Amino acid sequence: MPVPPSSTLTVALFAGMAELAGARSVAVAWSGGSVADLRRVLGVAHPKLIPLLQRSAVAVAGQYAADTQQVATGSEVAIIPPVSGG
Amino acid sequence: MSSRPPQPEMLVRRSVDGQRLLEHVADQDAGANILFVGTTRRTTGSERTAGLDYEAYEPMAVAALERLKVEALERFALTSCAIEHRLGWVPAGEASIAVALSAPHRREAFAAVEWLMERIKAEVPIWKCEAGENGARHWVHPGDMRGAAAAGGPS
Repeated sequence: MPVPPSSTLTVALFAGMAELAGARSVAVAWSGGSVADLRRVLGVAHPKLIPLLQRSAVAVAGQYAADTQQVATGSEVAIIPPVSGG
Repeated sequence: MSSRPPQPEMLVRRSVDGQRLLEHVADQDAGANILFVGTTRRTTGSERTAGLDYEAYEPMAVAALERLKVEALERFALTSCAIEHRLGWVPAGEASIAVALSAPHRREAFAAVEWLMERIKAEVPIWKCEAGENGARHWVHPGDMRGAAAAGGPS
């Protein structure tokens, strides 16, 4: 079966999420999909992130995004673990 | 509207300057001026904290703080409001955040401080790493952010 054309999506990580990944960002193969799809892809590629990822928000273009929102290739994406500023 | 200059940067990597924020929000039409300063606590339960290391998703944090400030100005009919959050290492006892605001009357001003601090702690992408005096470090990630898209999304 032909492999669909795919590019990578760079996902920014912060705080405990960056610590778990050992990196400030990770790249995942991405040819489009929803925020929920991205959560699955990220979890498969980086299983260590799953417990915190399940309690995290996803930001697309600097806005908190619902799981149903579509994520285009080239989007600015970040995982936002529970915040603790103030 | 006053001709007050725009507030300088909201995220800083130096000591929080609450007095400067208070001067920034001063207005002849305001009868109440409040400065809230949040400091890093040395003791949490039996743990002794050397300090807190703060990190932010900076562009999003600035936009979120700006949006909350605008919402607070409208919701509580404030005269002026300024917020400053420190990033990087904050030794125990030093300020990590200051919120200064002015309003015609104190009731709205006190309510606005409480509302702003609640929202900042719940929505703004800033995190703290607790560093114990024993050398242990851990990122603080309370609760669950999955509902943030509904609460903090564009309105």
